[in-house]
Amino acid sequence: MRLIFVLYCFLHVKSSTFAIQEDTFTEELLIKPLFSEQVYAHFQFATTWNIDPKNENYHHSHLFPRPIGETIERLNIQELHISLTGGLWRYETWGYPVVDAAPGAEIWAWFKHNTDNVDTNWKLLSNSLSGLLCASFNFVDGSNTVSPQFSFRPRGIVESSNNTFLRYASLPREIVCTENLTPFKKLLPCESKSGLASLLNSGYIHNTKYHSVSLHLRQICATEACDKLAQELQLSVSLVYDYAIMGTKNWSFKKLFGHGLNGNCPLASRSNIFVDLSSKTSHDFELTPEPDDVIYSIRGGQEQMFAKYDIPPYFLSVGAKYQNNLDFNVNIPPPLHACQYLTGYGQERGGIVTEIYNNHWKSLDIVLLQNIAWFVPVYLHTLKIVSNNNQVIEPSVLKYGPGKQREKPYYLEVVLKLPPRSLTKISIDFDYVFLKWQEYPPDANHGFYIGSAIISSYLPLAKNYTGLPQDASTITGSFNASRVGYLVQIRTENMVITLPTPDFSMPYNVICLACTVVALAFGPLHNITTKRLILKKKNRKKLLERLKNKFVEKFFKKKEEKSENDKNE
Amino acid sequence: MGLLTDPNGGQGKLTKLLLNYHGKLCKLSYLIGVIWFCSLAAPQFNSNTYFSENALLPGLVKSTFQQDRLALQYFQELKDETQKYDSSLPYAWLLAKFRQIGLDAYTHNFTLHSPLNPNETFYGKNVYGILRAPRASSTEALVLSVPYRPPSSIHPTTLPSIAIQLAFAKFAVKEKYWAKDIIFLITDHEQLGMQAWLEAYHGVSCGNKDVLNHGDLKGRAGAIQAAINLELHSVRIGYLDIKIEGLNGQLPNLDLFNLAGKICIKEGVFYTFKSKSRAYFRDPYTEWLYYFKNLLAMMTTHATGIPNGNHGLFLRFGIQALTLEGFEQSKEGSRVGLLNIGRVIEGIFRSSNNLLERFHQSFFFYLLPNYDRYISIGLYMPAACMIAAALIIKACAKWFKLQEEDINVAYIKVIVVFVLMHFIGAFVNSLPQIAQLFNYDVSSAIFFGLISVLITSLLVPLVLKDFSFEVMLIFALLELGTTLICLSMNNISLGMFCSVISVPMALIIDITSNKFFNYLQKLLWILIHPFTILFIVVTINSWLLFNQESIGEVLLRAIVATQEAVIYSVADSMIYGNWLYTVVTMVLIPNWLCFWCVTFGRIKSPKNKFD
Repeated sequence: MRLIFVLYCFLHVKSSTFAIQEDTFTEELLIKPLFSEQVYAHFQFATTWNIDPKNENYHHSHLFPRPIGETIERLNIQELHISLTGGLWRYETWGYPVVDAAPGAEIWAWFKHNTDNVDTNWKLLSNSLSGLLCASFNFVDGSNTVSPQFSFRPRGIVESSNNTFLRYASLPREIVCTENLTPFKKLLPCESKSGLASLLNSGYIHNTKYHSVSLHLRQICATEACDKLAQELQLSVSLVYDYAIMGTKNWSFKKLFGHGLNGNCPLASRSNIFVDLSSKTSHDFELTPEPDDVIYSIRGGQEQMFAKYDIPPYFLSVGAKYQNNLDFNVNIPPPLHACQYLTGYGQERGGIVTEIYNNHWKSLDIVLLQNIAWFVPVYLHTLKIVSNNNQVIEPSVLKYGPGKQREKPYYLEVVLKLPPRSLTKISIDFDYVFLKWQEYPPDANHGFYIGSAIISSYLPLAKNYTGLPQDASTITGSFNASRVGYLVQIRTENMVITLPTPDFSMPYNVICLACTVVALAFGPLHNITTKRLILKKKNRKKLLERLKNKFVEKFFKKKEEKSENDKNE
Repeated sequence: MGLLTDPNGGQGKLTKLLLNYHGKLCKLSYLIGVIWFCSLAAPQFNSNTYFSENALLPGLVKSTFQQDRLALQYFQELKDETQKYDSSLPYAWLLAKFRQIGLDAYTHNFTLHSPLNPNETFYGKNVYGILRAPRASSTEALVLSVPYRPPSSIHPTTLPSIAIQLAFAKFAVKEKYWAKDIIFLITDHEQLGMQAWLEAYHGVSCGNKDVLNHGDLKGRAGAIQAAINLELHSVRIGYLDIKIEGLNGQLPNLDLFNLAGKICIKEGVFYTFKSKSRAYFRDPYTEWLYYFKNLLAMMTTHATGIPNGNHGLFLRFGIQALTLEGFEQSKEGSRVGLLNIGRVIEGIFRSSNNLLERFHQSFFFYLLPNYDRYISIGLYMPAACMIAAALIIKACAKWFKLQEEDINVAYIKVIVVFVLMHFIGAFVNSLPQIAQLFNYDVSSAIFFGLISVLITSLLVPLVLKDFSFEVMLIFALLELGTTLICLSMNNISLGMFCSVISVPMALIIDITSNKFFNYLQKLLWILIHPFTILFIVVTINSWLLFNQESIGEVLLRAIVATQEAVIYSVADSMIYGNWLYTVVTMVLIPNWLCFWCVTFGRIKSPKNKFD
């Protein structure tokens, strides 16, 4: 009995030291009424683990999710970024999100520089993630993976940033739903039992215009001087609610998530809710209850005001009530936004066009990445970059990796300078190809997906910008965080392309036809091979005479003669 | 059936049969084809329409559209607003409404450099709004379009359709089940605006270069799956007519047509095809006649290859589309309001929203003798082939005969003349471009140029000496036969009309020594020159329209109308890429000329007068 008590005390002390010294967990919710008719809710859960990533074997973890730890240890992962998204972030009207994500599933990972076989590890990683998050990551393989040179730089501390250790893939057809959210919630220390995660009610959050869950894992500095490393995991959920679908502009936790918040997560070192008050100037609203604090932030020349709530251990429901419904917001598009579409019709030739709008008064440097599936063979010589309909732009750097049927996608990365206040069109032509008949997915006539293009840039000002700076892992860290540039990675829309699709009832028709042909051919073939051919005199008698002969033959001739006659024929 | 037997066995017999009976065979084949085709209109020979695509689930959900009062309010506002603009769209009002409803609203500018007069330029502006579907990421879209008609337009108004379109947008924006974006499009200048918008959406030019400058679109919504074009002439609707005939004889997928019909029935809206609804007869002949007239009505619009609504321009881009035209006068004595119309639109869009795959299950090639019966390609093609086969049988017979006679034929000469005729056709086809080069007033230059070229070409056979007309006839017959089958495959109505008229004439043409017969066949052949036919059709039409006028006036009108018809077909081919003018000038006229050459042939020895 005494022994057990001692053991209990020992364990208790050990675990609490873990918590205090090594793991920290914060939960935050940012609610931002957008200037258009939507409200944006972003959940940010960050876990920082002050351990040496080199020596740690991840067998013991406290707040950090163990399955992730085991995966990164076994597969030698330096950084991992995953997003699962439904809907499209509308940059033009909504500004920039905290975390950019492409529609469908997206994954990119940096492997440690001592990894022997990156491709094997990548395949293992995608397969284990597919089980972990119930997503179709198992479809990630060589045929849709690229290693971009400029677009995905490491976000944390790395030993080498050679892009041979980087892999990127996207699955534009992936449909994100409850089955992805449930395992995602299990990665959080409080799961969905208490704290902000209890608001993630799938019945509500999948009725939004945009919903995205993402996971970002990286190594950061544990101290200011950066003499020690730490492992950081950011889990986030982004939601955009439409006022028209909600039926009212007045939002509350009950309207957005189905119920109020039942206290904070006791394991969290900090639990906050922030409400962006910037749109209050054009359309005034009242918050209930009154916020605990109001934070002023000046970032990149942009003044912002946030209402701050510290989540108490008891019930809380935040809501906003608008003064009147007659105000009309004028939307100012952000400095950089883009769209992508297909050109041409018919099933012979087509083109992919990416339109990039630079609304800034200065020129902007951007990197465009396109990961084009192998069944859309593009021609590099048709690449055209034209600004404002007449000005041809030469790319500063052009990286191109030709695709290989069934093995490798076409990879195109262009670095260029967008002229000030311009619309730049980047177009490339492709051919339609026939696939093998087993390569068509179910519902073949739905079409094939081409993933989004990714446009990366450092914006000089933080207009409409909500992203986190590179050194921060929480929303709090983005207040007053003026930096030299603000990284945006715009994702354009996916495209559905109709490849020449055979009529899949055809095999049945072919079988019928083949059987008929065989049956028809069999008769003569059998005749020729089994019967002797003998020349026979032509019967030149008249019809009447022949009939008479036949009649006579049938009734009056003997049986023997008749059988002899048959033989001769 | 001997697939693997000796091909030489028994051929002599077949040849002989062909040589002896080819005349009768040709006539028989033609007659069977025509009778077959005509009888297809009888309900015993065609079938009921049905849904092929299960995913459509038409009318499975309860309609919830209730914004009819709002639509009426929009209609009143719009009526006042249009008075302020004489010919352009009230785009400020429309944009404001779209934005208020919560759509992404855009305008689209386009320019037309008149293909007929290089100094003329027209401008237009479309307005459209996109409802972003909450359940998808703008990969697919549906279109609800309305052609805007200013009060001064000669066509009946479409303002009620804009009102219901806005009301439907207001309704749809609140719903969270949309998986395809909905584009609400209001086009300017009838089909021109629609063509420009579609070209801009797909980033291509369909007609000649530099004619229609399609401009740029700022907002897009992925691959368009289906489009409904609305032309409601009143806020009280007596009946809805479904129009399907598209550019170059393309038709929308039959499933979409069935869907529209089914939803109309569900919402209690009386609907028709070619303004005819279902009728019941006891007498099989009257029944057949009723359906046959309906079929002919469809075929006449179908054969021209000119779309009878804005829906027709979508089809080229693989987008299934149809027009719902609403008339105020009632066929059954009752009328419906905008509530039912709104629910029809809701039903069609919710069903299309269910589609996982694009429309591909049902027929793309069909004829409709009534709104609930169809004739599939498998039924009508044999008839078309039978008629064209008559020509091929005749060509075969001629060929065997030529082989039996065993005379030397100067093939080179025949081929040269044959190719020359087609060059004349190509020249006629490129007349508009040539006229533009010399900066002539294209509209009259084309017509008179055309007439003069055609008349000159009639003289070509006069220079032919020592020419083997028999071989020419075989070439011409084969070309006509193939052309007719190809035409029927693409546009059965056009193919059928061409076949029925030209095949008997082509069968008559032969090389004879009889002078009277020779002149007769020349006269008959001139009668079926494409331009003579056009003139005859136009004359009959103007006589029917203006029957109180004297013959001279009617003829004068007919000449002017013929000229206009030619000019319009040229313009259509340059703006929309309509291939009627190209087919007529590149294939039908050269082929006509080949036959024309043959009519100049004479048999040298009077021995074999007739074969």
